[in-house]
Amino acid sequence: MRMKRFFTLAAFAASILAATSHAGRADEYPSKSVTVIVPFAAGGNTDALGRLVAEELDKRLGQRFIVENKPGAGGNIGLGDLARAEPDGYTIGMGTVSSNAINQTLYKTLPYDKEKGFVPLSLIATMPNVLVVNADKLPVNSVQELIELLKKEPGKHTYASSGVGTSIHLAGELLANKAGVTMTHVPYKGSSQAIMDVVAGHVDFMFDNIPTAAQQVKAGKLRALAVTSLDQASLLPDVPTMASVIPEFEATSWHGIFAPPGTPPEIVDKLSKEVQAILHDPAMKAKIEGMGATPVGNTSEEFAQFIDGETAKWAEVIKAANLPLQ
Amino acid sequence: MDLLSDLWLGATTAFLPINLVYCFIGCLLGTAIGVLPGLGPTATIAMLLPITFGLPAESALIMLAGIFYGAQYGGSTTAILINLPGESSSVVTAIDGYQMARNGRAGAALATAALGSFFAGTVATVLLAAAAPPLAAIALKFGPAEYFSLMVLGLVASVALASGSLLKAIAMIVFGLLLGSIGTDVESGTPRYVFDVPQLYDGLNFVAVSMGIFGICEILRNLESEHERSVGVKKVTGLMLNRDDFRRIRGPVLRGTALGSLLGVLPGGGAMLASFAAYAMEKRMSPNRAEFGKGAIEGVAAPESANNAGAQTSFIPMLTLGIPGNPVMALMVGAMIIQGITPGPNVISDEPAMFWGMIVSMWSGNLMLVILNLPLIGLWVRMLTIPYHLLFPAIIGFCCIGAYSINNSVFDVFIMAIFSVIGFALSKLRFEPAPLLLGFILGPMLEENLRRAMLISQGDPSIFVRSPLSLSLLLGAIVVLVLVLSPSISRKRDEAFTE
Repeated sequence: MRMKRFFTLAAFAASILAATSHAGRADEYPSKSVTVIVPFAAGGNTDALGRLVAEELDKRLGQRFIVENKPGAGGNIGLGDLARAEPDGYTIGMGTVSSNAINQTLYKTLPYDKEKGFVPLSLIATMPNVLVVNADKLPVNSVQELIELLKKEPGKHTYASSGVGTSIHLAGELLANKAGVTMTHVPYKGSSQAIMDVVAGHVDFMFDNIPTAAQQVKAGKLRALAVTSLDQASLLPDVPTMASVIPEFEATSWHGIFAPPGTPPEIVDKLSKEVQAILHDPAMKAKIEGMGATPVGNTSEEFAQFIDGETAKWAEVIKAANLPLQ
Repeated sequence: MDLLSDLWLGATTAFLPINLVYCFIGCLLGTAIGVLPGLGPTATIAMLLPITFGLPAESALIMLAGIFYGAQYGGSTTAILINLPGESSSVVTAIDGYQMARNGRAGAALATAALGSFFAGTVATVLLAAAAPPLAAIALKFGPAEYFSLMVLGLVASVALASGSLLKAIAMIVFGLLLGSIGTDVESGTPRYVFDVPQLYDGLNFVAVSMGIFGICEILRNLESEHERSVGVKKVTGLMLNRDDFRRIRGPVLRGTALGSLLGVLPGGGAMLASFAAYAMEKRMSPNRAEFGKGAIEGVAAPESANNAGAQTSFIPMLTLGIPGNPVMALMVGAMIIQGITPGPNVISDEPAMFWGMIVSMWSGNLMLVILNLPLIGLWVRMLTIPYHLLFPAIIGFCCIGAYSINNSVFDVFIMAIFSVIGFALSKLRFEPAPLLLGFILGPMLEENLRRAMLISQGDPSIFVRSPLSLSLLLGAIVVLVLVLSPSISRKRDEAFTE
C-alpha cells in the first residue's frame, strides 16, 4: 500500500513537473499513462507477453501501461496505428516476426512507411517451433528419414500451417528450400484446427508452437522430429534441432517491443533499459520459459540488427516459394 | 463407480465457497454482456484475462466458463425483445422470439429460452462428464471432407429458414456467400474484394453485420411507422408459460438439446450450425409449422436449447484434446497456459480437480443462471414499456460501443451503419435477413473445407464419397433438398407472409 501511495505521489509530482516545464524530457518520462498497442487479438502469445511486460513497466515507472489490442491484416492495422502515433514515448507497441520481418516482403502495400519503419526497443522472447508428424501416417523417426521420404514421393505428402505467410508456413517453405524437397501445403485459419487435423491423420505433418504440440507429443499422439531453434528447447529436451541436420536452419517466431519512428533517443534508451532489466529478472524469466519461449532482452541496436537479418532471410524464402504478394 | 467419485471430486472443488462466488460473478457478467448488444464473451474474457492471473487456476477457469455460457443465455434476451441478436447463435431466436414479443408474449419467450437452456445445459453437462473422450473421437473423424458435406447439408437446410419466397431466400443465401468471400483467401493468401482497405483483409465482422441488418434496421423500420408506434407490441399477457406452452416446447427442447450436444463437439463451426439446424428441423417437423415466422414458441425453444447444449459440449475438444474449437476456447487455453496448465490429451489425468471442478461448476452455473434470469424476465419485459424515443438512442449507443469493441476500431461501426441501410432496403423489398447471415457464416467454411479436402486428395473429388460419414451427410442434403422443393412446387408455398 505504502509503495502504491508513493507512486501516486511521485506520479502527481511528475505531472506537475510536466505541466510546468517542457514535456517530453527523458528524466520526466513517463508523466502520464502509456498505451501499448498489441497488433493481434487478445489471448495469443504476443498479447500475453505484451501484458506481462506492460505490467512490470507499470510497477517500475509508476505510470499505467495500458494494453490495447488492434488486431487485423496480419498485424498491419495495429502497426499502422503505431506509426501514426505521436512519437513522444506515450504510445509503444508489440511486433513479431510476421508483422515486422515477413509482412515487409509479403504485402505489396503497408499502412505505414516501410523505409522509416519503427524504433526497436528490445526483443522480448523467441519461440521455437517443433516439427511434428502423425506417426501412423508417416513412418519416419528423424528429419533425415522425412527428407528421404519426401524426395522419393515428391508432392505426395501434406503439411499443415496456420495460414499463408505465417512463420509456421514459412518454416515449411524453408525446409522445402534448404532440403530440396516438395510437399503439399494445406493452410488453415490459425494453428489449433491445423494441429487437430494432424493429430487425426487428415494431414501428415506440420511445424507448430512448442507448448501445444509438446502436450500432443507427451500423450503419444504426435512424434516430434526436431525443433527449429539453434538450441534445444527446454519443454522437449530429447528432441534434436533442425540445424543438426540442415546447417543454420532457424525459424523461430519472436516477439519484441517497438516505438514509433522519431521517438527521442533518451526515451528510447530509457524504455529499452527498463525492458532489458525486466527480462533479466529471474521470476519473469521463469514465467516466459513456462510459456515455451526463450526470454531475450537485448539492446535497441542488437534488436535492429536481428530484424535486418530476419527480414532478409524470409524475403529470400518468400521469393523462392513464389508466394503471391498481398 | 469411477464417474461418481470423479463427480464427487468435482463437486468438492466447484462447491468451495470461493469457487461458487467466482462462478456467480462469471454468470452475472456473462448475462450482462450477453444482454448488451455487440459485447461478446470473446472481448470480455480477453479484458478479464489479466485479472485471472492472480486467481487459483480452478477459480479462474470456472469464472471464464461462466462468462461464456452466461453470454449464450443473455444473448437471446435482446434478440427477443428488440430483434437484436448479439451472437451468431441467437440469430434464429430473433425470428420467432421477436414476433412473440410483438404479440405480447415476450415473457413466455424469455421463459422458454431460460428453461430450455437450463434443461439443455444440464443434459450436456452430464454428457460431458460421462462421454467426453468418445465424443472427442467423433470430432477427430471430421476432416475437411466431412466438414464440407456438413456445411452443404446446413446450407440446404437453411433454405427452410425462409418463410416467404423460396427464390428470394436463395438469393439472400447467395448474397451472404458473396459477402463471406470478402477478405484474404485462406488457401492462397490472395486478398479478395478488399480494395486496398487493410480493415477488410480479415473479412467483414459478423457481429457488426448482424447488428446493422437486424438491430439498427429494426429501429429504422419502427421509426418509419411513428404514428402507430407502440412498436406494434401488444399488451403483455402472462409472464410465465401455460400448460399448453409446456406441451408444445417439450419435443423441440429435447430435439434441440440432442442436436446441439452433437454439433457442439465439432470444433470447425459445429456449434454455430446447432441453432440454425435445430430451427430448420422444427420447422419441418412441428405440427404448428404454419406459425413459424409469426411467433411460434417452438422456434424459440429449439434453437435456444441447441445453442446452450452446444456451448457446453464445445468444451469437449478443448478439455480432452487440448484443441480450442472457437475463439473463446482459445482464450481459455491462453488462461490455462498462464496458470501453468497446458491443455492436452492428458489434462484429465494430470489435473482431475480442475477438469471435474469445471464440469460440476457448469451445472451449478446453469442453475444460477436460471434462478438469476427467471425473476429478471419481468424487468426485461417492462423495458418494452419505455417510450421508444428514449429507448432507441440507447440501443444505438450500445450497438456503437459493441461494434467498436470488437477490434477497437471505428471501421466496424461504419460497417454496422452500412448494413443497417442495406437491411432496411432488403426489408422494403421483402427479403429476409436470416438466410443471408447463414450464407455469410457458412460460405467461407464451405469454400475453405472444399479446397482443403481437394488439396489433401491431390485433386481427386472422390474423397467426398469415399468417407462413409461424408457420404451420409451428402445423402442427407439430397433428402432435405427434395423435401424442401416438393411442397413449394405443389403448393407454391405460402406467400401470405406479411409484416
